[in-house]
Amino acid sequence: MVNEEKQKILELMDNLRADKYPLKECNHIGKRGVRRLDGYEKASGRANYTMDVQLPGMLIMRFLTSPYPHAVIKSMDTSKAEALPGVRAILRYDDPELPPEADLGGHAPSCVPVLPGVAHFEGEEVGAAVAADTEAIAEEALKRIEVEWEQRPFVLDVEEALKPSAPLANPEEYPDGNYYNQGFLDVDELGDVEKGFAEADVILEFTSRRRLHTWVGPERPCGVFKWNGEYPEVWVKQQRPLISKRVISSWFGGIPMNKITMHCLYQGASFGGWSQVPWNMGGHYCAALVAKRTGRPVKWVFTRREDFYGGEMDEGVYHYKVGAKRGGTITAVKVRALLSNLLFPIFGAAKHFIENTKIPNVYGKIEAIQVNKGINAPTRCEQNPNTHSLTLVFDHVADALSLDPIDVALKNDGADGHDMDWLNERKAEMGFQVRDSLGECIEKGKAAIEWDKKWHAAGTKRLQNGRMHGLGFTWTHEWDDSAGSSEIAIRIERNDGTATILGMRCDNGVNAETAYCQIAADELGMRLEDVFYRPQFDPGFYTMTPDSSTNMSVNGFAVRNAARLLKRKILKAATRPTGQTQRGSFPPAFPGCKPEDLDMKESVIYVKSDPSKRISLAEFVQPSGAEGPMSHSPEMGKGAERSNFTVPLFSHSWQVQQGAYSSSRLRLCRQAHFMEVEVDTETGEVFVTKVVNVNDVGKVISWEGCEGQQYGGTYMAVGRGLFEEIVHDPVTGVMLNGNLLDYKIATMNDVGPIETLLVETGMGYGPYGVVGIAEDIATVVPALLGPALHNAIGVWIDDFPITPDVVLKALGKA
Amino acid sequence: MSEMTHSYSYLCPYCATRCDTFEGIKSHVLEQHKAQPLPTPEGYIRLTINGQEYTIHVEPEWTLHDLIHEKLGLTGTKMFCDRGACSSCTVIMEGRPILSCMTLAIECNGMTIDTIEGIETEGHPLIEAYIKNHAMQCGYCTPGFVVTAKALLDRHPDPTHKEIRDALGGNLCRCGTYPQHPKAVLEAAEALKKSPKGRGSTRG
Repeated sequence: MVNEEKQKILELMDNLRADKYPLKECNHIGKRGVRRLDGYEKASGRANYTMDVQLPGMLIMRFLTSPYPHAVIKSMDTSKAEALPGVRAILRYDDPELPPEADLGGHAPSCVPVLPGVAHFEGEEVGAAVAADTEAIAEEALKRIEVEWEQRPFVLDVEEALKPSAPLANPEEYPDGNYYNQGFLDVDELGDVEKGFAEADVILEFTSRRRLHTWVGPERPCGVFKWNGEYPEVWVKQQRPLISKRVISSWFGGIPMNKITMHCLYQGASFGGWSQVPWNMGGHYCAALVAKRTGRPVKWVFTRREDFYGGEMDEGVYHYKVGAKRGGTITAVKVRALLSNLLFPIFGAAKHFIENTKIPNVYGKIEAIQVNKGINAPTRCEQNPNTHSLTLVFDHVADALSLDPIDVALKNDGADGHDMDWLNERKAEMGFQVRDSLGECIEKGKAAIEWDKKWHAAGTKRLQNGRMHGLGFTWTHEWDDSAGSSEIAIRIERNDGTATILGMRCDNGVNAETAYCQIAADELGMRLEDVFYRPQFDPGFYTMTPDSSTNMSVNGFAVRNAARLLKRKILKAATRPTGQTQRGSFPPAFPGCKPEDLDMKESVIYVKSDPSKRISLAEFVQPSGAEGPMSHSPEMGKGAERSNFTVPLFSHSWQVQQGAYSSSRLRLCRQAHFMEVEVDTETGEVFVTKVVNVNDVGKVISWEGCEGQQYGGTYMAVGRGLFEEIVHDPVTGVMLNGNLLDYKIATMNDVGPIETLLVETGMGYGPYGVVGIAEDIATVVPALLGPALHNAIGVWIDDFPITPDVVLKALGKA
Repeated sequence: MSEMTHSYSYLCPYCATRCDTFEGIKSHVLEQHKAQPLPTPEGYIRLTINGQEYTIHVEPEWTLHDLIHEKLGLTGTKMFCDRGACSSCTVIMEGRPILSCMTLAIECNGMTIDTIEGIETEGHPLIEAYIKNHAMQCGYCTPGFVVTAKALLDRHPDPTHKEIRDALGGNLCRCGTYPQHPKAVLEAAEALKKSPKGRGSTRG
């Protein structure tokens, strides 16, 4: 039976088709009211984060940052800083123990300088790190470091940076020019756009801008490094604890993985972002060296401002050319996007037209351009340029043809240039039920927002309060990228028969750990309260990180696989004599039964044909060790029968899959979002009065978890669309608003009621048909502010964020 | 070694009068100087946190957050924005929610303060209502919300949805859990009506 189960598991790896073996009955999966595992700790303040770690003798380390956007350290005098009482160590960029480069984290292994002597943006950590008794002393010491800087010319804007006269923004890395991704996965192409334009009745051309915005993790970047003799013990504020462990193992001539202890406590959010930056372990490297020299644990920290350098991968300028038939069929889309400081310039700006529509001719090119700002890394998430393009193109087309944007979406829905008939055939081939995901999402959303009642021509509806009313709609596919591998184990505890799921991933707040328990409880036939995910504990398994747009579809499968193998083991153990010893064996719990005669429900093993024959898992597993069989039995020494003993119950399984980024799978599930706004045409203020999110998540595991992502995604999206913008002084290149007073994120009162709707078509590639939800709303909805505003004021604003001054300018009032 | 003998006497800090017993000096100071018998030494403050009295040395530049989080190890009080923008570090001082990052510890002499840890040990129904309503994601800002909501319920045991939104409007949550908070606070208010002393919980 175990082998048969293993075959089924292997069959579903690299899931290129529907889940062939879903559960028939779910008692915990998809049920409301499941108590969060992390709830009590987080609500009571007992949850600990890396910033909260306090160890005896621990030093605090801070970094010198560049005051200039582009500058070289000519010389540095740290003597005054060293003389400050309480300063315990200063690590300099010219320290002989620092290697020229080291692997310091990031999405993929890459080597960068630990403490560079050249700064390529204002605020970059360069030159020195100071460890002191307190953060205040470290900060004071940094002020006393005297640096002779050689300033270099700088450039902040992508269009400026492309001009032949522009200075090189990073001559160390890109000596040949600021445009750095030519010819490497920079073009997405389908059909022939020129042919598509020739067939069109209407041609539209427009340009859009997206200004820099960032992640703003509530907990500052930080970490703790401690040497236990020769062996490191490390606390990471990082969503990739095991990849961080691999990085550490490459340092100082190599440290075996099994000698490194990792702690990944609760994370004050990250949304990708910082965890992908190729220096994010640089602080740990410096802390490791200083900890060695001082014999004390070192906590390194960034300031709040230092967390603002770097951002999402969509800052730049987008040029669009679109051809369409009068009825709304789009014949060709061409996108040229000039994007700044892309960490991975491979995600495109036109991919969603190919993956998500029947548009036969698509050409998208991204030009990645280096400017003197921080690096832009996937931040909930790398699809921002694609969703930005999809929303603006579809809504511009609908407006130009005086069509309802919902009709234009339905008319063009498809995949790889093919229509829905073709896509439906593929769904059936892959074993999915054939459902019209977009149609179902739209039907629900239209009713919730009262679309038919409220939709009107642009700029025609003034409300009684004097504001203009607008309605907007957008859509795209769901996130089922889900590449990666995951290892998970489950152990049945002695004495009470509870189950512990073992795996190490960071908690990023999406309630995933509870969802894993829901899966394991249903698969094992256990009560939910008997299953626990042991967080922040490193059992040594490479559990999939919550990034790469992946969580439930990989880890969910791994949990399910481990649970299914464990259940087989339990039922087998219950029917066979166990523990062959020199004195004989222990009798089975269900003599005369075969494993297939038994089942489990609510943590009880029972005979299917006679459920009165039952034994709880707790009774079955028994105590062990010194309190185990034979130790205190009254029959001891009398030659009586031996008491029961159950073999250790443990299973280990895994999942591996390539995901959809390489177009290896068709996107089947859709999402649709609706927004109602009011615009004050005197002040330029925009009020988001209602939002309806409809997501086809395939199958809901945690209702509240999904709804939480819809709420949170919408708030982040409205912030991104309306006010999130990092501003640099064009004269000095210095960031002007690196704090939460001047960089605005949404508050509770910045969005009206949000209605969250979920559709379950089962057309996801994950276990039970799930797809991901956490990244997409914050990514898809920002651009929706554009069409909603256009519907209100009758003028297109394609310049994001749409701040009041931008609105007034568009209205000719500023 | 010579035999050491110790004789203790208490010195009045105001007039240098000596007394042999603590009770003696205490009544002297109270009667003669109308003052607390043991003035706080320079650089020390006395305050009550979660019902516990502390006499503790503080540096002039320490914020109340530094004192609570770093020195006393009450790590539930979080720092998100760094200075006065996010309300994550909210504590209740003399019944009012205040920002501990914007308050100097040295100014808190004689104050009574409640932190999230105190609200938890009190068994306040807000905790269970927050869990039940998933009013959290990463959880970093959550204690600040709970403390702000506790201060609201202390003043207004029966708040409207709008009053809750106004009270929590200054608390930033990057995960955007906002819509779940008013539901949790309303539920906690209902639980308090049933168990008005603020103890007990909505659990079960």
